[in-house]
Amino acid sequence: METKKCICGFLAAALMFALPAFAAAQGTIKIGGTEPLSGTFKDIGERYLEGVQYAAKVINESGGLLGKKVEVVPIDSELKPDVATRKAQALILKDEVKFFCGGTGSSVGAAMAQLAEKENVIMFTYGMDAASMTGEKCNKNFFRPGGSTDGRSFALAQMIAKKGYKAVGIIGQDYSFGHEAVAAFKKKIAQISPSTKIVAEIFHPAGTKDYAPYASQLIAAKPDVIFTPNWGNDLTLLLKQGRPLGMKQKVFSYYINDEVMISSLGDDSLIVGDMGAEIYMLNIPTAKNKEFIEKFHKDKGYYPTWLRGKSYIATMFWAAAVKKAGTTDVAAVIRAWEGLSYDGPAGLWTMRACDHQAQVPYWAVEIVKENKFFKHAFEGPVTEIPAKDVEVPCAETGCKMGK
Amino acid sequence: MSEVPVFFLHGLAYAGLLFLVSAGLTLVFGMMNVLNFAHAAMYMLGAYFSFTLLRATGQFWLCLLVCPLFLFIIGALVERFLLRRVHTYGHLHELLLTFGLAYIMTELVKLIWGNFPLAVNIGGFLGQTVEFFGMIYPIYRIFIFGCAVIVGLSMAAILYKTRLGIILRAAVNDSEMVNALGFDVPLVFTGVFAFGAALSGLAGVIAGPLLTTYPGMAHEILIDAFVVIVVGGFGSLGGAVVASLLIGELQSFGVLLFPKLSLALVYLLMAAVLIIKPSGLFGEKQ
Repeated sequence: METKKCICGFLAAALMFALPAFAAAQGTIKIGGTEPLSGTFKDIGERYLEGVQYAAKVINESGGLLGKKVEVVPIDSELKPDVATRKAQALILKDEVKFFCGGTGSSVGAAMAQLAEKENVIMFTYGMDAASMTGEKCNKNFFRPGGSTDGRSFALAQMIAKKGYKAVGIIGQDYSFGHEAVAAFKKKIAQISPSTKIVAEIFHPAGTKDYAPYASQLIAAKPDVIFTPNWGNDLTLLLKQGRPLGMKQKVFSYYINDEVMISSLGDDSLIVGDMGAEIYMLNIPTAKNKEFIEKFHKDKGYYPTWLRGKSYIATMFWAAAVKKAGTTDVAAVIRAWEGLSYDGPAGLWTMRACDHQAQVPYWAVEIVKENKFFKHAFEGPVTEIPAKDVEVPCAETGCKMGK
Repeated sequence: MSEVPVFFLHGLAYAGLLFLVSAGLTLVFGMMNVLNFAHAAMYMLGAYFSFTLLRATGQFWLCLLVCPLFLFIIGALVERFLLRRVHTYGHLHELLLTFGLAYIMTELVKLIWGNFPLAVNIGGFLGQTVEFFGMIYPIYRIFIFGCAVIVGLSMAAILYKTRLGIILRAAVNDSEMVNALGFDVPLVFTGVFAFGAALSGLAGVIAGPLLTTYPGMAHEILIDAFVVIVVGGFGSLGGAVVASLLIGELQSFGVLLFPKLSLALVYLLMAAVLIIKPSGLFGEKQ
């Protein structure tokens, strides 16, 4: 028994040492994907990771990156900043991983951004949207090839102003994300449509179960339309419980084209006619998007809906930066990414040097019943909101990038 | 204040749900002195069974009858083969066991139904709205309150008006004597635990169309259920009724009157009750 154990232990140890050496010999570029891969938000983390992994596959099939294979290392963040950074730190020390990405939880992102600066690696996000991450909390090792609360709120404010609605009811989750989103929306709507009134501004705890009192208050304020940054269950229940109470207004929401949320409603009539703005949608009418969706669907058997599409494009953008740098040296990649443009499935994305926030077009959409992707309601035709229309000028971001 | 009746109804509906969720929990604690941490997981199982049965048959009424029955069987098995074995080792072991069961059930649900929200759509009569006194109100919310009233009244009737109730209450007070009189006390306790599980299952079926059926639902409701039985007093059925109504109305009117405090109000109530009467409104002194 003892000898057996001993041999096993030795073999395991040998394997542990041999594997990284083997990988290095082959020449791989590793990228750590920090997502919640267990717990309540597992489904979101997995969809993000699928996009990153698909991007790696596409890169590898076309000859790799700088002649090397891209390997995605999944890291279960458990949606906890300390867990994500501890696991990432281990990868940095053990495997010399230089690149990290993630899409879920701005708190995880903020901690990862700090770690990236300290260890001189690169962290990028496609889904951690709190504006402050490329604002006062920015640093040179952190990039956001994705949307932000500012961009989304500005886009939705424009849509509401353009349609000439005069009374807006606001409902949002009572935590930093909800407050940032609502503040940005109010700022923009006051600028572009001063005659539009905010008739209700309601915050509720995230994860509220009974929305009836909130919905009744919204209804009583008689808004023309409703704006909400709510997502996931907080959007589902607002619609599911609010509609039967007489909440008939069009809802303008951050993440309206979430196919899981729509199917969990179970009743298309609750959401048809509602609108949203996103940086990636299946219905974006570019040739590149059509090609991407076709190939993805052929490969996987399902569609690269918003989360997957966003993380795919962001990863391809990162790869373009590494390619331009011609090396995996972190300082060189940072320099290469600043100012770089990537023309992908969602239009032209440009990485701004002053705050590392990608300037991206948003796509406005209305949810319709008939669509070619799902049996339930989904995206209708989309219209582009140009990146310059939702831009936050460098001077206003609050970002002071250290050199 | 034209909103008052509507907010009152909101409060009643949510109180109904709170009572349905906490009734079984407080019953099992009152009768058996077991704090069942798996209660909320059983509630979740009820919702998932109901989802599958509803998809297969389209009959919500059938779900209301059959799913609690499933949970009754599961509850009976858990009590007979697991809980009874650890009972002699005391509360801590019972607590750990039910805690572990809750985890296992949640993981099983993820394996079988997946880790994403499911749509439970009842449609039909219960999915409609009614109009009265110039208000439009969803029938389902009234239905929830109705169910809670029926469940509460039948539990009270069984406990205080039937022979079975006499045996139950006697078994709690002096199980050895009841045993000596020729009643199978262990079987009585199996029945109580199974009934508690059935109640949680019923609550899950009823919550399905109002809330979201997903693996996080157990965790979400557990805290609310505990708040109800802490405020009402552990093991007190009447306490659960009063606490559910208090909390339901407090949450609803809290949003109307003190929007910034609406979440804290419930916990302030709990803190106040615990300071003034640590055993809860209707709890017995330990």
